[in-house]
Amino acid sequence: MLSNSELRCYTAALCAALLLVNPAQAEDELRNPFAGDAAAAAEGKRIFLKTGCYACHGHEAEGAVGPDLTDDEWIYKPTDAMIFNTIAKGRRGTVMAPFGDQLMPEEIWKIVEFLRDKNRQRHLNGK
Amino acid sequence: MKLRMSHSVLRSARTWLPALAIALTTGNALAQGVTDEMLINAHKESNNWRMVGRDYMSTRFSPLSQVSTKNVKRLVPMWTFSFGVLDAQNTTPLIHNGVMYVTASHGRTFAVNAKTGAMMWQYNHPLPEDAGKLMCCDIGNRGASLYGDKVFVTTPDAHVVALDMKTGKPVWDVSLGDYKNAYSMTVAPLIVKGKVIVGLSGAEYPTRLFIEALDANTGKQVWRRYTIPAPGEAGSDSWGTDPENLKFGGASAWITGSYDPALNTVYWGTGNPNPDWDGVGREGDNLYSNSTLALDPDTGAIKFHFQYTPHDVWDFDGVNEHILADVGGKKVWLHGDRNGFLYSIDRTNGKFNYGKEISKVNWMSGFTPEGRPIVNPDKVPTYDYEAKDICPASEGGKWWNPMSYSPAKQMVFIPSREICTDIKSAKGERAEGKPHWGIGSIKWNKGHGQLVAFDAKSGNKKWTVEAPSPFMSGVLTTGGGLVFAGTPEGEFKAYDQDNGKELWSYQTGSGIVGSPVSYFIDGKQYIAVPSGFGGWTGWATIGGGGAPQLKDSRKGGYVTVFGLFDQ
Repeated sequence: MLSNSELRCYTAALCAALLLVNPAQAEDELRNPFAGDAAAAAEGKRIFLKTGCYACHGHEAEGAVGPDLTDDEWIYKPTDAMIFNTIAKGRRGTVMAPFGDQLMPEEIWKIVEFLRDKNRQRHLNGK
Repeated sequence: MKLRMSHSVLRSARTWLPALAIALTTGNALAQGVTDEMLINAHKESNNWRMVGRDYMSTRFSPLSQVSTKNVKRLVPMWTFSFGVLDAQNTTPLIHNGVMYVTASHGRTFAVNAKTGAMMWQYNHPLPEDAGKLMCCDIGNRGASLYGDKVFVTTPDAHVVALDMKTGKPVWDVSLGDYKNAYSMTVAPLIVKGKVIVGLSGAEYPTRLFIEALDANTGKQVWRRYTIPAPGEAGSDSWGTDPENLKFGGASAWITGSYDPALNTVYWGTGNPNPDWDGVGREGDNLYSNSTLALDPDTGAIKFHFQYTPHDVWDFDGVNEHILADVGGKKVWLHGDRNGFLYSIDRTNGKFNYGKEISKVNWMSGFTPEGRPIVNPDKVPTYDYEAKDICPASEGGKWWNPMSYSPAKQMVFIPSREICTDIKSAKGERAEGKPHWGIGSIKWNKGHGQLVAFDAKSGNKKWTVEAPSPFMSGVLTTGGGLVFAGTPEGEFKAYDQDNGKELWSYQTGSGIVGSPVSYFIDGKQYIAVPSGFGGWTGWATIGGGGAPQLKDSRKGGYVTVFGLFDQ
């Protein structure tokens, strides 16, 4: 039988192993480290273009084959973590494919910040 | 002994007798495969629709006349079939002896009883999870082809699959390119003399694309024709000084060709050079992009070619279909190009007859006698210059959605649009598997849609129907004097061929970006149309948008079949 300390240790090790296996973490554990960071948003746009996201979502993320990512008209109201996981893992049954194999978590977060910034600008412009 | 049937048996017989009849008919149909003779004579036979263009001339004209201008108001839905998947439903259904073979998005193919809508089998191609991100313009498919006892389909991950016509089980499955480097397929194959001819998509990425013929029985390659010459071949000096252009210049071939058995020639269109909007570094005509290749179907050799837009920097992507027609004593092909023109070209030698404006054109100011466009320098985008109000925008003119030709009236009916664009080019990073458009900025300006009828001989416009959004369906014409076309809002409409008067309309539930067909079973004419909005839609909304009302349009995935209401 495992003692409480052994159980804690075992559980922590298991959690650590799971995190290694599944880089797309549980949403309540995910926080955007670049929230409100204008430089990160600019870098996010560069990564968005370089990765080819523009082919479906347009150069300014205003939508094309894929949906507009700058407005408030989401199917579900997404948290930053949900957007992170969509980019990392894709959405099954749709054209949205996973990009977790080619982008580092930091790069995904910068894209998230780029999209959030586009939405803020849109509100500021009254659109 | 006297045989008596009870009322209950008779009542149930009302149910099972038709079912038995359909089963027998279907069983018989499945036993009878598709022959070369059936394909060559497709235009002389009205019950079936055995290739996407209906016949080798790609007329999309059905001689059926039960539904006509006089009674089309009595057209009602008979059945609807759901594909179970969303996104672009670009398909043309096929009908062979009572069975509909129809492809859908996400690699699906179905066999359906064409009278009742009952599914007989389905094939779900096992797609890699990331297939969609390596396709420029959604994960659609443009239709199947039929030959012998097999159904042939192409897939988003660049496979060609032969399915058993009776069961839908794969007989062979070959890969023609690495989808991870953006080699993909949406095309409906063309069957010519036992060969399955297909073309590759992917010119929005660094690729070298091709047309390929496979043996229908085995899937083995018969020939491959690259649309960009190898170093040293004719035309290889038309790509500037960067030798990488010959490896990565695109020139896709994603629309089904046409075939003239008498001339033993296949006519197949090629698409844009890559990068789409940046011409720096690929100075020259960029052969054989934006061309029609006249090919020997036995060897793949190029007999001759005609290029619509040399050195394309507007993504005019001249891949569209060819209608083979005999008009005014000439054997011609008719081609509606995204560069804004309806072309008539002599199909015996590739000589230019005429180019007539489908929509407003200002990127060029006229043609040389050979049909080469004289480019307007004000409409050429560069790294430092944003060319404003280029007409038409990259989607035309006429986009890829196929037009139709009435041989009886010698008229062409073209789904079209009047939308212009502002473009500034930019240097992009060329890397395999990554989009490479060469775009600095692009903005589509609000316009409208139109359906345009032309006299094929003169190229004169006969009538134009305007609509708020572009016509994005293929067009069907019939012996009943009707033109059928669909809108991205989901309306399926019938017009009078003579004057464009709207005679009937039905809301199918989602935008129509596929093509309607007509067929005949047990004394009844049916008209089928796929619906399900999707595909490249950036033109609708980016930078204000050509048709901003289409933002967030409802997706779907159906085929709806109509017939006259029987009282």
